[in-house]
Amino acid sequence: MTKGIKICLVAVLTILVISAVMAAIMIGPKKVEAPQYVEIVQDNKILYRIDLRQEKDRTFRIEYPDGGWNDITIENSEISVTDADCPDKTCVKSGKLRNENFPIICLPHRLVIRFSEQGERNENKTTD
Amino acid sequence: MKTKRLTELSLLTGLALIIFVVELRFPDIIPVPGVKLGLANIITVYAVYKYRAAETFLLVLARVLLGALFASSFSALIYSLSGAVCCLAGMLFLRRIIPLRCMWLCSIIGAILHNTGQIIAAAAVIRSFAVFAFYPILIICGSVAGAFTGICAQLIINKINVK
Repeated sequence: MTKGIKICLVAVLTILVISAVMAAIMIGPKKVEAPQYVEIVQDNKILYRIDLRQEKDRTFRIEYPDGGWNDITIENSEISVTDADCPDKTCVKSGKLRNENFPIICLPHRLVIRFSEQGERNENKTTD
Repeated sequence: MKTKRLTELSLLTGLALIIFVVELRFPDIIPVPGVKLGLANIITVYAVYKYRAAETFLLVLARVLLGALFASSFSALIYSLSGAVCCLAGMLFLRRIIPLRCMWLCSIIGAILHNTGQIIAAAAVIRSFAVFAFYPILIICGSVAGAFTGICAQLIINKINVK
């Protein structure tokens, strides 16, 4: 084994260990209280800020000016994307939003659904 | 470029595309954007060690562009393109350091670089750092997939060199 390979091997192992630890921390133990507010963000603009505990069960569709849509469902204070017209449907497969570290992401529509820390602004619709 | 060389490269591009199209049929195991087995990269790793840098680059470029055409996913093109460029640059550099018999290591690093390129492109497109949450998962899955494709490429190269 030459020196170059050893360096590469060590580098790969280090990166793997670091990412394994990071992933474990992020997936790991949840907070007792689930976050209350959810933000629906597109192109870094907040389309909606929703208070999950006050929201009734409903499904609504977000449509985009350049075509395409996502159906978002709120049920029992949980939010999920139930349908979309993108080819990969990764956002639908990710299921309900549970972990504050892992947002639901729809890359084709540049949409991010994530828990929000600050819930001072209590209105249901905020369009920046 | 000699005709023989050109034919070989086109054949490899065709092979990579066939593998790519077959892989499209595989169901997603992990619902994280960007996680894929990337079997078509067996051809990439093979080409990195067998052909010149420019030739490999052309092969991968053709594969990515035509692959986007076949999968009709042009929105995903920017991610795969930036991933492929990062991956290729890294692997073409590493082939000077890592010998043929340790190809799998080169492939793993290539996979990690591919994921890095992908996630940077994704962060740029959606203008949010939210995607970086998936980075550790992507690296782990990518390393497993990279090791697999690397070992496959190594087996192929061993078989062909025996002749």
